[in-house]
Amino acid sequence: MKNLIAFLTNYHHWFLFILLEIISVVLLFQYNSYQGSVWFSSANLVSGKVYEVDAGIRSFFSLTRVNEELTLRNFYLERQVAQLRRLYGDMTKDTTIMERQELEFLSRYKLIPAKIVSNTINKSDNLITINRGTSDGIERDMGVVCGNGVVGVVYMVSQHYSVVIPVLNRSSSRISCSIRHRGYFGYLRWYGGDPTIAYLEDVPRHAHFKRGDWIETSGYSNIFPHGVLVGRIETIYNSPDGLSYRLKVRLTTDFGRLRDVCVISDKDIAEHARLLEQAEDSLTMKPK
Amino acid sequence: MAVEELKRFLSFVILCFGQVLVFNHIRLFGCAMPLLCVYFAITIPRGYPKWASLLWCFTLGLAVDVFSNTPGVGTGSMTLVAMMQTYLLELFVPRDSIPNLESSISTIGITKFATMAFILVFVYCLTFYMLEMFSFFNWLQWLLNVVASTLLTFVLIMAFEYVRQA
Repeated sequence: MKNLIAFLTNYHHWFLFILLEIISVVLLFQYNSYQGSVWFSSANLVSGKVYEVDAGIRSFFSLTRVNEELTLRNFYLERQVAQLRRLYGDMTKDTTIMERQELEFLSRYKLIPAKIVSNTINKSDNLITINRGTSDGIERDMGVVCGNGVVGVVYMVSQHYSVVIPVLNRSSSRISCSIRHRGYFGYLRWYGGDPTIAYLEDVPRHAHFKRGDWIETSGYSNIFPHGVLVGRIETIYNSPDGLSYRLKVRLTTDFGRLRDVCVISDKDIAEHARLLEQAEDSLTMKPK
Repeated sequence: MAVEELKRFLSFVILCFGQVLVFNHIRLFGCAMPLLCVYFAITIPRGYPKWASLLWCFTLGLAVDVFSNTPGVGTGSMTLVAMMQTYLLELFVPRDSIPNLESSISTIGITKFATMAFILVFVYCLTFYMLEMFSFFNWLQWLLNVVASTLLTFVLIMAFEYVRQA
């Protein structure tokens, strides 16, 4: 007994070491499956606040560039709206229906502006933290966009902050996209490395498209509305199994300089999810 | 004693925020990231209670992890480095030196300090990237990350040490 106690007191730091290592391994493996782990992420209040101050300072220095970009984008969109309105008016001889439809479309979605407080682009599984949470009406699985295109999907929400899985997340990000004006769709993946390049997978072999075509969100998942800009086709490859095309896409969103984003809150999302669940339930219950 | 602890706490805070707000954003040539929080483990003096140094490093790793969304990665590697440091330092200091000797260029000489720092930095980078890329198949990128980060961190630590001496 004396020997045992002597042994324990002599080597107590080894036991502590093993205990601490076990804690780290548990943290490492539990993180992704455990929703309550919001406390151990950058969405907790202390780290959120620190990052917010940090992001405030950083964004101040990039204001000029952001402003320039927004002005350009605004100009481009205004021109596009004017042109479309003219074309639509020419075709239907009705100039008021356009405005009515536009309002209807926009009232389905609510945009919540948010600021990014922490962001990485150099890991294989990047995450973004934004300064809006449940108290601002943000929920899991809402889409996040910026002025230039798609950003990602909300993953974890605390009261004042949320963690977003951006396109640049190798293991978790799959966004359903389609080719503009052509309708063929696939899903967007990123394989690490260059933060401006992602790949559109599973585009069918019979699809017609060409280099330089625009890629946009398909709107199938209800996370993003149809038509949010994603990128431009740069190169066309065959998929490894040869059954579909794999498109190299240059993303329009510059993740390295991202500051201001909008979270898209879809009022029908709960209904859509419920319907999908019912459909899946009824399929599994069907006798073979 | 209390002053020493206060100093340690201050360097803890500086290294934690330095790592989170500055060094985490640096990625030279797409692979080299300075992991300077390991400097905290290197400067733990000889004869410091082992359990306390383990807890200090564990907490520093956890703090960095919480900020950078990599739970377990920094924590595990920092704890390992803390454990190694207590034994490694014994190998490098003369047996008759003062009990609470702190490892630095002036106390144990540049060759010994550099060797010790390099070993610890390498172990830290190795375990850090191993845990971070647990499911990552791209081993070439992994190797590049480990080697480049080790070199960059080592150079930065030596530079810090020189500045501290001056």
